[in-house]
Order: sequence, then structure tokens, then C-alpha cells
Amino acid sequence: MQDGKGPKGYHDVGGDAAGEIPMVELPWLHWEKQVEAIRGLLGDGTRRIVSLDEVRRGFESFGVEKYNTLSFYRRRLEAMTDILIEKGIVSRTELDRAIEAGKVRWSDLDEKL
Amino acid sequence: MPHDHQHGEHEALIIEDEAGNIEAQIIIDALQQVLIGKGLLTAHEVTAAIAKLESPGLHLGAKIVAKAWTDPTFKSRLLSDGRTAVQELDIPVTEARIIVVENTAQLHNLITCTLCSCYPRSILGQPPSWYISKAYRARSVREPRQVLAEFGLDLMQDIKLVVHDSNADMRYLVLPEPPHDVERYTISELETMISRDHLIGVARGVG
Amino acid sequence: MTRFSAGDHVQVLALGKEGHVRIPHYIRHQTGRVTEYCGTYLNPEDLAVGNTSGRAVDLYRVAFLQRQLWPDDAIPAQDTLIIEIYDHWLRSVKETENAP
Repeated sequence: MQDGKGPKGYHDVGGDAAGEIPMVELPWLHWEKQVEAIRGLLGDGTRRIVSLDEVRRGFESFGVEKYNTLSFYRRRLEAMTDILIEKGIVSRTELDRAIEAGKVRWSDLDEKL
Repeated sequence: MPHDHQHGEHEALIIEDEAGNIEAQIIIDALQQVLIGKGLLTAHEVTAAIAKLESPGLHLGAKIVAKAWTDPTFKSRLLSDGRTAVQELDIPVTEARIIVVENTAQLHNLITCTLCSCYPRSILGQPPSWYISKAYRARSVREPRQVLAEFGLDLMQDIKLVVHDSNADMRYLVLPEPPHDVERYTISELETMISRDHLIGVARGVG
Repeated sequence: MTRFSAGDHVQVLALGKEGHVRIPHYIRHQTGRVTEYCGTYLNPEDLAVGNTSGRAVDLYRVAFLQRQLWPDDAIPAQDTLIIEIYDHWLRSVKETENAP
């Protein structure tokens, strides 16, 4: 407990000391849009599988190391997959299998180019 | 999965390097494939959802502001129920409520989300990277005038500064002051004067 | 019937809750003034753990004096901060001195 205010998450940075604001505008990449699109679809009225609140809980609890080293959309992606696995919607095994297959396809493509 | 990132005395923005972006693309493609395999999504839905995410942007915010500057009854409706007024312009709004906060000669508004990155995405699209940065989120509530100065805005001491932390269900747009000679311009001309930074509150004067 | 109305003086509680909450650390224990009632919403603390059948909660915007939030910093007296606080995180207090 800090000052009797209760637990403070690593994401809860309002008022913390910080340096200059990085004046950058990053482009919004396709995979990032895909993450947001899929999160939105999974949370929509026809599905209600993962809510934005659950994704937030995900990145607020997956650890400060991840929080400080992953980009914003990567955090959303990690949190979303964590929650989907936690809720038994997908399994770690089947996701890993699909990722491995994807890596193989990518490196095959790489070799051809 | 280590990624290159910048450290230093200045608060760095975490940016994926090429390997990180490729890895993330592979992961999201794999996740999408697994979800499609379970009948929870279709590829067509994902494509359509991406198109919807890409369509809002500054042009919609500028349209709202220019109309508020030239139509006093619209402005009044905008300030009392932002979401309904914005939808009058055929802009689909997904957020529960939109609160439009008006700048005046004596008052300036600044929007932030200290806990994550809440932003009126269905109107303005994605927030700028700096809005999501830890430095902005940490300092915008505590030392907003210094933050504004970093954006080149030196707010006079006698102007009241109100910071809005969008931590829950409301989303915010700043209505900047119109140019003093607003009646000289067409709506299109007015729209070009409005930047995204005006709508967040890190810029003030227009035109 | 809501517990609070615009103009009421309130204090933000520190509920000591673990897990996902949307009340930042910096505002807990602070006293301010309700500026508006925002409506009733599902509680993010419930939604974050997949509970969509919890009771909906009243949400208010509450204004605070920046000088009071950050007493060690040199801040103009009239500057304020407005943030959204759910009903169960608020309690009524007697009129606070110099509230915005």
C-alpha cells in the first residue's frame, strides 16, 4: 500500500515523473489494425467473447517487464491472447502450432524473394 | 521475445523493429486463423472491420468544429449532447457519450487518458503515438502547462486550464475558439484550419 | 435517484481493490465537486473478469483544484482537473474550502 491509497498498477502513471514527450507519429500498421479489428469483433453484440475491459485487465496484469518493453498494440495483442487462452476459447498449443506454421510460410516466402 | 527499444533519460516510445512487426503479424494471422477455424470470425468480417477502423479521422473532427462555428444551434446541441449532435452529420459514433468542451478567451481544455489511451476513435481514428506515451499520460495531469509548452503553446497564466482525464465511459473533443473573422470563410476553408492537435488541446489558436 | 448532483462536494475513496479499476491512484482521497452526472454504466471492475450481469453503476464527472492535487508544484489557482468517478468510489463530504 502506498499512502493508504491502495495498490497502484504499473499502468497507472498519472502524476508520475517522466521525461520529454516523444514527438513522434508512428504509422498505423496492418497487423495493428487487425488486432483492433479482431478485438472489436470478439467483443461485439453477437459474440461478447472478449471485452475491452478484459483486455485492459490483461495488460495491467501480465507484468511490468512486458508492459515496459512491448509496444502499445503488441500489449493489446498479448493481453487479448492471454484472455482468450484463460477463458479456454483457444488453447496455447493450437495457437503455437498456428504460429509455427506461419513462421515456416514466412521464411519460405523470404527464401523465394 | 526481445525487441529493440530505446532507453534514455527521455521517456522513450516503445517502437517495434522490423523483426517485431513481422512476429506480431505472424501471431495475429495465426490467431485469426484459429478463430476462423472455430467459426468465431470470418476473414470478410475482419476486412470489413479494418475498413471501418480506417475511415474516421481528422476530417470528421474538422467537420464537426466548422459546423459548430457557423451554426449556433448546432453548437448548442453539440455542447449539451455531443454524441447525438455528431450523429446528425452522419458520423457513426460507437462511444457511449461524447463530451465536447469549449475553449474560450479565458479557458483552455486539454484531453488525456492516464490509464491507457482512451480517445474518441470512432470520430478521430487512432490517437497519435505521443498521446499514448507514458510521458504524456504521466505529465498531462500534473504539469499540463509544461506539456503545452513542449508543444509550442505558452498558455497565459490568467487563462484557466482544465485537464480532462478520460478514464471511464466518456470521450472528449475540444471545440477550439473560432478565428476572430470566422464569417469571412467558407466551411471548407474553416475545416482546413483545424488540426488534430486543436481537438486534443495541445494547440490553441486557429487561423 | 442518484446519490449526488452537480455542485455536491465529494471525496474519492481508496477502496483497496485488487485487479482492474479505473480510478487512478493520484485522485484517491482527494476532495472535489461534482460537475455532472454522466449516466449509468456497467462496472468495469465486473466486466474485466467477464461478469456482464453485475449491477450498473452511476458515473459522475468530478472537478478538482490542481493546486490541491499537486501541492508542491507552482500552479495557477484557477486550474482544474475533471475526471470520471463511479458512485461506489465516492462519499459525500461537508463543503470543502475553495472547491472549484
